[in-house]
Amino acid sequence: MPDAFQVIADPSRRQMLHLLSKDSMTINSLAENFDMSRPAVSKHVKILYGAGFIDIQDIGRERYCTLKKDGFNQLQEWINYFDNFWGAKLKKLEFILNQKTKN
Amino acid sequence: MKDNISHSLFVPQQPDEVWEYLTRPDLMELWLMKNDFEPVVGRQFRFMTNPIPKFDFDGITYCTVLEVDPCKKLSYSWKSGPGDGLITVDSLVTWTLTPKDGGTELLLEHTGFKEARHFAIFSALDGGWFSNIKKIAQLLNDTPHGATNA
Repeated sequence: MPDAFQVIADPSRRQMLHLLSKDSMTINSLAENFDMSRPAVSKHVKILYGAGFIDIQDIGRERYCTLKKDGFNQLQEWINYFDNFWGAKLKKLEFILNQKTKN
Repeated sequence: MKDNISHSLFVPQQPDEVWEYLTRPDLMELWLMKNDFEPVVGRQFRFMTNPIPKFDFDGITYCTVLEVDPCKKLSYSWKSGPGDGLITVDSLVTWTLTPKDGGTELLLEHTGFKEARHFAIFSALDGGWFSNIKKIAQLLNDTPHGATNA
């Protein structure tokens, strides 16, 4: 699975997620918002799909993209990881410095 | 929703003593991680720990010292990835030391998750999107091509 941070590091992909946050869209209507070739849009859509940021559903002849939580959850997990990491490390530092005071 | 990483700590030691624990590799290793840090702007160094495959993290954090204001402020970039030089987390760590009540207030800020922070809110939202798509599907089915709003 591609890393969620890397996936959203690209401005076009961020823009796509913004558009999809308002409503689900077909790949064609999504492409209308970008000055790039249709294959280039499809490639970004594929990356977003692969990282769990969107779902793709075939309805009739159209392919609809909708936001999916998995990718966003991964971002949040990373932030939570660092938050816990620093909390634990600072506790350790505090302990060491407190021991020092007593000696 | 947690949208920023910041921790502060009050210790009875003076800033110069706390500074040692932030800048001397042997003392840093006691509470943080094994490293080859040097308090010189531009110095590239690494923190070494165990890999976390779930996060595509190979256990090495690549850093560059950005600011050294002795006993007051220290900052370095904080980058990591799955290995082979690929960087997927690009962030910034800043330490600020402030004399307070005869001791030191130590503030840690880990920032640069801007995009992530922006999008993290989505993970707190619940569904709704799929029902949207079903609605659209229904509209498409109910409206044959060429139909007019008569």
